[in-house]
Amino acid sequence: MSLSFPTMAAIRFGYGFRPGEVAPQSKDELIGQLSKGAAATPDFPLGGPDMRHRAILSLQDQLKQIREDAKTVTDDPTRREMRKAVQRQAQQQFQHDANLRLMQAVLSPYGFYERLSTFWTGHFSTSANKSLPMRLIVPLYEAEAIRPFITGRFGDLLRSATAHPAMLIYLDQADSLGPDSAGGVKRNKGLNENLGRELLELHTLGAGSGYTQADVTAAAMVLTGLTIDRKEMDIAFRPNISEPGEHQVLGVSYGGRRRSREDYLDMLDDLSVHPKTAAHISRKLAVHFVSDQPDEGMVSDMAAAWKKTDGDLTAVYTAMLDHPAAWQNEGAKARQPFDFVVAGLRALNAGPVNGVVGSFLAANQQGTDEGDMAANTPGMAGAPVTTDPAGEARDKRLKAFRAARALGQGALKRMGQPTWLPPSPAGFEEGFSAWITGSQLAERLAWARRAAAQFGRDEDPRAFLRSTLADAARDETIRVVSQAPNKISGLTLVLASPEFNRR
Amino acid sequence: MNRISLSRRGFLTSACCLAAAPVFTPVTFAAMPGDNRFVTIVLRGAMDGLDLVQPFGDAGFAALRPTLALTPDSGLLDLDGHFGLNPAAADLMPLWKSRELAFVHAVSTPYRDQRSHFDGQDMLESGGEHVAEEKTGWLNRALAVIPRSDARKAIDVNTSTELILSGPNNVDVWASDSNLAPARDEMQFLARLYAGDPPFAAALAEATRADSAAMMVEADGDHGEKIGDVAALAANMLKGDYRIASFSITGWDTHIGQAGQFKRPAGDLAQAINTLKATLGSEIWAKTVVLAMTEFGRTVRQNGSAGTDHGTGGCAVLAGGAINGGRILGRWPGIGDGQLLDDRDLMPTADVREVAAAMLYRQFDVGVDDLTRKIFPGLGFDRGSQFLNV
Repeated sequence: MSLSFPTMAAIRFGYGFRPGEVAPQSKDELIGQLSKGAAATPDFPLGGPDMRHRAILSLQDQLKQIREDAKTVTDDPTRREMRKAVQRQAQQQFQHDANLRLMQAVLSPYGFYERLSTFWTGHFSTSANKSLPMRLIVPLYEAEAIRPFITGRFGDLLRSATAHPAMLIYLDQADSLGPDSAGGVKRNKGLNENLGRELLELHTLGAGSGYTQADVTAAAMVLTGLTIDRKEMDIAFRPNISEPGEHQVLGVSYGGRRRSREDYLDMLDDLSVHPKTAAHISRKLAVHFVSDQPDEGMVSDMAAAWKKTDGDLTAVYTAMLDHPAAWQNEGAKARQPFDFVVAGLRALNAGPVNGVVGSFLAANQQGTDEGDMAANTPGMAGAPVTTDPAGEARDKRLKAFRAARALGQGALKRMGQPTWLPPSPAGFEEGFSAWITGSQLAERLAWARRAAAQFGRDEDPRAFLRSTLADAARDETIRVVSQAPNKISGLTLVLASPEFNRR
Repeated sequence: MNRISLSRRGFLTSACCLAAAPVFTPVTFAAMPGDNRFVTIVLRGAMDGLDLVQPFGDAGFAALRPTLALTPDSGLLDLDGHFGLNPAAADLMPLWKSRELAFVHAVSTPYRDQRSHFDGQDMLESGGEHVAEEKTGWLNRALAVIPRSDARKAIDVNTSTELILSGPNNVDVWASDSNLAPARDEMQFLARLYAGDPPFAAALAEATRADSAAMMVEADGDHGEKIGDVAALAANMLKGDYRIASFSITGWDTHIGQAGQFKRPAGDLAQAINTLKATLGSEIWAKTVVLAMTEFGRTVRQNGSAGTDHGTGGCAVLAGGAINGGRILGRWPGIGDGQLLDDRDLMPTADVREVAAAMLYRQFDVGVDDLTRKIFPGLGFDRGSQFLNV
């Protein structure tokens, strides 16, 4: 090990150091974070899962009402206003959840668990852009279908992710009907292979692992019947839209004369312990945490642990940490934007309880479009503008809101990793070259300057470097930072350093 | 009394994008009754006073600085037959001629040896005798002891207050998004930071080439206009209720290729002072003192990359209609053998805090006891200070 254990543990397997938080001192401590993280309730969705379920139903009702009004109300502008109001409300809730998710990662003492949550949410990718209700559903999905399951058996995680409304909507499963099922014949609609394909290509076996198009079609057939109860916005299994008969996936037969929920659950279970799934996901974990070209011995150790435990994920993570390669060649990976922003906010987050960063972002996460427009009313160039006290307070609020947004979701968007908005079912890019580019670096520099100016007032760059990178700081970085022309520059250089952008 | 808010959008009317944002730190203001005005400009990065005001009359100067030293024959603007002004600040010459400009050579804070920008700037702004002795800014502490200092009001609260004006006394702060753009000297630090890491070095090169709106690196070019905006903003505030303003000019850390690099900040300084004068108008300018100062000086000898490194004795700039300028102030220590500090730096012969103390004394009647105990602890200052007659 070239760096100290706590440094490697904090930077490679967590979101970096945070002042006042002791970095993991041993592998047992790292693994110990998993059960603690899984037992904790995430800060999102806002109001908790029960309230969110109700909010989703309420949104459904509002949308339905608007559709019905459209039949009778001929006044276009009124309808448009109603639709806009509903959209705005959902968008605001989504932004709030996205901020909560960011702060969850910043404030949680269980960095390894948080990193894994991000990994798995990306693995079972869904996007809040798919439809308006998805703005409310996707945060709930991570909270209730991903996070509680990432320390147990992969099979259980696969079941919970596959059967969540977020996944069924995102991959169009709710629109898939068995072509020869009663429901399919009646509605003259048929199969949608999307979920069946991604299940094999992305979620389990992996692309190029040897399955055929016939396997994809058959998997999609097995999945028919799995759909959404639109009224309850919950999953449902409806035999009358399930394709009847037996379907061979990878040589195993599912289904029969009477189709049932058990068919697809059996298929998911088989896929979850398939050797190719073990190899695919072990490698993906190793790539995510350790290196774009991971040590083959480490990957096979992880796959072996998978096989031995029928896919117990904690055993797989342990096998990764137990391999020497997990502790070598530091800095091989680029921190992805979310990782970078979280690590930066953590590094700057001095102060009691939630720290300065937490307090600032929590206090300023709400803003409105109307407010933005009001604040844009120009005054005389460079001259004082006389306003009423209420206007002044509003301007101040807006400015703080904008600063918070620029440091949080705004930055993530500009850096190409907006929360819960991946570009495809494959999630965000993984490799170094995708993230360390000219425009990326420019965004990171701008972010670093802004964050340093916002939160770094009481920081000495030399002390900040020590607390942020510990023994990961190279001699040259120590020299450059200590010679920086001013404090903000010094702090910016720490956050811009290769060591801080690698892990 | 008017409430004041400042719209960045309005402020940067001519800016098309953030890339064109200015490169200096926030303007801070303090309001109080009384008629005189005081502006401090912190020159961050250690301005080379020997480059701004060159002792061309000293034998040996040209040898110490083969490519940096100028003479009146090579463009230096003769000030008094011994010192000359760097042509990059030529726009200051009219002020010199109208005796509204003075330079104080060979001054420094009590800071020695370590030559860290952070510590040096902290001392310059906190006014203490030792590093980290004072946690608040001297200009903020001054507010409490200026007679009749009751009326202060908020403009805005923003990202970062300069240390010089930060502290328990209310100060209004205006800050642009300007701190997004690294100054040129910082670009060199980034280049060094990435020198051993090819992918990062390549990305930085790409970013610098790209020059896209999202970029904000190498924000060269439009600078003069922008520092003018900041100075105009400060002056407009001083035309109202405000009596004290402070802002910074960065870009002075000239380790490499100083001859080229010095032009931008020197031009910014000239433009800032001229803009203050033009915007304030003759009546208020006549009651105004501008003090520009830096955390420490630079080495007397130029280094191997045609730049200079961190030194000690530096130069402060005084301007304003309220001063009796057209003079080089301070005691010149010389740059010959045995005259340099540690055979390296310009020997400081006065404490730059004394210059500031003198300005507070003459502009706002701050008492000597307050100056030497509360504002600049440990400073020797009396009514005989050489800087009071400027």
